[in-house]
Amino acid sequence: MQLLVQNLLSVGLHHYLILAVVLFGIGTFGVFMRRNALTTLMSIELILNGGNLTLLAFARSHQDMRGQALALLVIAVAAAEAAIGLAIVVGVFRNRHNTNIDELNLLRY
Amino acid sequence: MIAVATSDFASLDLGSLLMQAAQVQAVPASSLTPAGWTPAWAFWILSALVVVGAISTISQRSLISAVMSLVATFFGLAGLYATLSAHFLAAIQVLVYAGAIMVLFVFVIMVLNRDEVERVSDRGLLDKAIGAGALVYLAVRLGEVIASPVGPVSRMSKPAPEFGTVAKIGEYFFTEFLFPFEAISILLIIAVIGAVVVARTVVSRPTTSYEVPNAASGSAEGGDDHAGGDAHGAHGGH
Repeated sequence: MQLLVQNLLSVGLHHYLILAVVLFGIGTFGVFMRRNALTTLMSIELILNGGNLTLLAFARSHQDMRGQALALLVIAVAAAEAAIGLAIVVGVFRNRHNTNIDELNLLRY
Repeated sequence: MIAVATSDFASLDLGSLLMQAAQVQAVPASSLTPAGWTPAWAFWILSALVVVGAISTISQRSLISAVMSLVATFFGLAGLYATLSAHFLAAIQVLVYAGAIMVLFVFVIMVLNRDEVERVSDRGLLDKAIGAGALVYLAVRLGEVIASPVGPVSRMSKPAPEFGTVAKIGEYFFTEFLFPFEAISILLIIAVIGAVVVARTVVSRPTTSYEVPNAASGSAEGGDDHAGGDAHGAHGGH
């Protein structure tokens, strides 16, 4: 009980790591379970943000600014990924008139 | 220079990070501030916003509602970054994620204007089982780190005054992270050009062999086409 109160009142590295895992898990669930390509892209953004939160929490924990520099690089990669992904979604929609990723299996077999 | 930068970049692997984390947790209690390093209520409110927003993002049927939930999630994450002394990253998060990327999403949703009929995918259950297993593995490994023998709560000391400043981040980008920085700029250029090329309306494709290829002789040829169409229509009428 005292441990619980201590965990509630004093936030440490563990709290941020658990939150990052929860965010990563929610994003992974969205990628696996949703059919819409746009929702899948949003879930990937959630996953990347979970990773970013881990980087920043460890940077704060180590007093090391390199984690923050890495997080900035991750944000840039996420922006590029969103631009390319949305362009691909628009192109797919133009050809197939839906964005259901379960039907995009032309290159699969 | 490049070789040095890449080797430093590659040395930041997860194993050494976790090892250093275990060492950080062993800081003696006397050097710690008494109430942790961030207001606890700020963390709980922001994390509740983040989790609820993330769940709402992947469970909404309407795509616009999902995007708005994602914006709320990103604002909560920006607040969390601020509690981690990463104020510059918090600002960038709001500008880039909640601003630029979400505007892009909203534009694409407006263009497509189509809500999905069936939300949950039921195909490829084997892949999903593998993914769930990987997720469980990740959670277990992180749980091992979290349940390290030092103690359940690892408080951290106050940061140095220059921690989290823009000047420090810029210094890293121009010394140690020079190669990744330049590579990211090239990646962004490639991504923007690629996005334009992929999403562009193809102008030259509809001009097949029986059509007029260029617009320069459009008036004369167009007149011919019109006459041909009329003749065809008259023929059909007969």
